[in-house]
Amino acid sequence: MNLSRVRTKPAPADLLVAAAIVVLAVLCGLRFWLPQGQAGGPLTAVVTIDGQEADRFPVSRGEPFQVRTYTNNGYTLVVSPAGDSPILSAPDGLCVLESDCPNQDCVRSGVISQSGQSIVCLPARIVIELQGGSGGVDVILG
Amino acid sequence: MKTTTRQLTLCAMLTALALALSWVERFLPLSLLIPLPGIKLGLANIVTLFALYALGPAQALLILLCRCTLGALFAGNLNALIYSLFGGVAAMLTMILLQKGKRLSVYGVSLGGAAAHNCGQVAAAVWTLGTAAPLSYLPVLLGVSLVSGTLTGFLSSLLFLAMAHVDPTSK
Repeated sequence: MNLSRVRTKPAPADLLVAAAIVVLAVLCGLRFWLPQGQAGGPLTAVVTIDGQEADRFPVSRGEPFQVRTYTNNGYTLVVSPAGDSPILSAPDGLCVLESDCPNQDCVRSGVISQSGQSIVCLPARIVIELQGGSGGVDVILG
Repeated sequence: MKTTTRQLTLCAMLTALALALSWVERFLPLSLLIPLPGIKLGLANIVTLFALYALGPAQALLILLCRCTLGALFAGNLNALIYSLFGGVAAMLTMILLQKGKRLSVYGVSLGGAAAHNCGQVAAAVWTLGTAAPLSYLPVLLGVSLVSGTLTGFLSSLLFLAMAHVDPTSK
């Protein structure tokens, strides 16, 4: 094929592709970023290993949980309260403090503290997801 | 389709070039600009785009499959193969469809490919991890794909302009 006939200047139709990507991103984001309606109970971390729920513990403000380690597929993740994170020390939430996986994406994900957020370690096939907690409202003063 | 020695050599060379580009881009300090895990430029997509336009869908797909397999072998990480295959094949099929329309420029095709690559990888993650959690990262990845897709589209347009008077498949 002769490459001189290829359109190399942006065409109006290109904007449609960009718009479709934005719409897809927003639709997908709405599901996770909108405050979850009936998310009762305290903020809870759910750890899924190889698709099976492996652990569940409360991540409540003020009382830090014990540092936990999870091993799967030859890699070990150390999950600790957000206050221990060297990236961003936050008052609540959790982080993967260290991992011996090759790409370190789970460590670089930093701190998660809101319901619906998650940290994924692909090499270890471990997912840590936050659920529950009263969505939207941080503190009620009365 | 009759494959000449010339075409076979071209495919092999493009596969090597794609592998080299994905190796080189690991040294670009992209994480300083966009501090998000799992983000990459996808420079190897320039090779896929070139192969698609210059050689056609069948050979572009062949180059892609060779690149994914060899890339995973060289990295010594066969777990990563499923991610690069899902992402690569999704991007390839999307770009084949978008390119058929003739109304899009290289930019539109590249953007669609970049977004489809991320969708494919997230789908692979949802499948292997057995939870929908990776989906929450898709909006971020799609946002970045607008930037990386435009950039690889721009680089490809430069390449096509430079190669406009060369037919790579004939003598």
